[in-house]
Amino acid sequence: MLFFRPWIRPTLRSFSTFSARLQQQDGSRILRVVQRLIDERETTRSQISQDMSTPEDIARLRKLKESEPLQEAWDEWTEANKNLEDLKPLLSDPDPSMRSLASEEYESLDETRNNLLQNTFPSLLVPPSTTASLSALVELKSGAGGIESSLFLAELLRMYLRFATNSSFKSTIVAENENDGGGTKDAIVEIKGEGAYDAFRWESGVHRVQRVPATDSAGRVHTSTVAVIVLPLLEEKDAEKEELFSMSDVKIEVMRARGAGGQHVNKTESAVRLTHIPSGITVSMQDERSQHQNKRRAFQVLTARLMDQKITREIAERRATRNNLVKSADRSEKIRTYNYPQERVTDHRIGMSLRNLTSVMEGDALHDFISALKKDHEETQVEDMLRETEG
Amino acid sequence: MTLLSLLEKKWLRQAASSPAHFQSLLRRRRKGEPLQYIIGTQPFGPLNLRVRPPILIPRPETEHWAIQLADRIQNRPRRTLLDLGTGSGCISLLLTHLCPALSAHAVDVNPAAVELANENALLCSIDRFQAFQADFLHQDFPSHPSLSPPYDILVSNPPYIPLAEYLTLSDDVKKYEDPRALLGGNSGLDFYHAIARLAVRERFLSPDAIIALEVGHNQADAVSAILQSAKLRTDVWPDPWGIPRTIFAYR
Ligand SMILES: C[S@@+](CC[C@H](N)C(=O)[O-])C[C@H]1O[C@@H](n2cnc3c(N)ncnc32)[C@H](O)[C@@H]1O
Repeated sequence: MLFFRPWIRPTLRSFSTFSARLQQQDGSRILRVVQRLIDERETTRSQISQDMSTPEDIARLRKLKESEPLQEAWDEWTEANKNLEDLKPLLSDPDPSMRSLASEEYESLDETRNNLLQNTFPSLLVPPSTTASLSALVELKSGAGGIESSLFLAELLRMYLRFATNSSFKSTIVAENENDGGGTKDAIVEIKGEGAYDAFRWESGVHRVQRVPATDSAGRVHTSTVAVIVLPLLEEKDAEKEELFSMSDVKIEVMRARGAGGQHVNKTESAVRLTHIPSGITVSMQDERSQHQNKRRAFQVLTARLMDQKITREIAERRATRNNLVKSADRSEKIRTYNYPQERVTDHRIGMSLRNLTSVMEGDALHDFISALKKDHEETQVEDMLRETEG
Repeated sequence: MTLLSLLEKKWLRQAASSPAHFQSLLRRRRKGEPLQYIIGTQPFGPLNLRVRPPILIPRPETEHWAIQLADRIQNRPRRTLLDLGTGSGCISLLLTHLCPALSAHAVDVNPAAVELANENALLCSIDRFQAFQADFLHQDFPSHPSLSPPYDILVSNPPYIPLAEYLTLSDDVKKYEDPRALLGGNSGLDFYHAIARLAVRERFLSPDAIIALEVGHNQADAVSAILQSAKLRTDVWPDPWGIPRTIFAYR
């Protein structure tokens, strides 16, 4: 029911290929990085003063604590190597039973080493996520395919709401525009909870559905698309700290004419539009019955978009300093295809297919995609790190 | 597009307990009943207030200036406030909610408004608020036993629609909202004269008191003049649609 097709694309980085590559290189790259970090750890330790009282000491102690698991793995590694050396003479011992015991032990040590090299070290080298604490704002927009696209958008929305609940995030539909003919034209969902952004961020991009619409009497397969944008969501007080915009740069407009207004009119006119002049970003919000609430929501979306730009910019800068040309995430890129006739969902970025579309749309198979994408991302980060130390 | 906007339909659907209930709410809306009365609540700033006919539905213009005023007085030390013609209680409830050092008295001539305002205070868990019935046009009003002047802040959104304009208003206002909440006499200015008289009265307001009054779309100049002749300085605040909406007065 679930199978990976790791060899479909040359750009693919599934765990197995990653390990294979590491083995080819004798793990020397990864060991060099680990060695360097362990050396750094020693330096930090030697810098701590006798009474451990300065503020720098506290930072150093924290650093030591953080790198403790790496040190432990490193100790296991050196220990295993030493044992291996000690074992070598015994492999040619005249006593056959001793020889066989030694070779058994040798195999087990070899296994330990491989595991450290292929799993433990790489997972410990993944840098901690800088966005780990953030919630998410998920925007869905119907694209090509008219009503079919709107119908599919409503289904994707349900899938995300279920995923959020199963992951213990709190979700709220902030804005939703229904389509006259059925389905949802566009929607914005707030997903609150630590790690929500890191979980959802891989959903950004164009989702493509292939199926026979209920309305097509000829039974032809149509292709429609829905665009998903996942933005980082900050708490109001954190947003202020980030200083993403200044109020004087934001133009606030209310929609429609209201005539005399005030006591003369009791129609609900609560729509609000913000324009952030330096970036040209505009946000319209009309789903709430009070202007104040719509304004708050609109500022929330504006903040998330600017934060998103900031994160993208920082990634680009980091890459530029490393001088390597990694393709940046493109939001107009087709990332996933939901093929109904073949009951198959394929993620094009990692070349992963799930043969049970229903378990993605109605069950919890989205988790499989998301954890695979997360893993892929982590491996890329480790690779970048390796390249950096070599470069 | 139909008479009802899609948004209104959505809000009614959210308020309905069943599809049949939704249909009955839709019917009421088609007959012209204001959406807010059908749903029974109106958000006002961070508060969600109960509304019911014929007490005036809080307006977005009022929400806007009340929040603006809260920003100004937020960090001042302990203050007392008087709200003339409180209706649902919206203005003074929002201000007491946003300003922890503020306590408010609110009056209305309509006992049903007084009841609703106190109900809303309870609903929003605001205890620094008390509404009672009083007619602030009456000559004995300043010696009303429940009042405790001098007040530091005076706010009001008094009835300001001139009779001739009232007759041209649409049915959802005329048929459902209390005319006594809307009609400001022939000129629409009757209540501002009364408020100016209160402002100059000995010890009714504290020496550094501030006053914020909502006005009709073309009344800013006239009301400013009334307050200036009571020896007050005035600023005019526009509403979100660019109409001069609030007179801010101080000594
Ligand atoms: C325009 S409504 C404003 C209600 C509320 N403050 C608001 O902003 O939504 C005016 C209010 O003044 C009250 N009112 C009218 N004449 C009054 C009087 N002579 N004394 C006290 N209240 C009066 C009405 O009952 C009504 O509730």
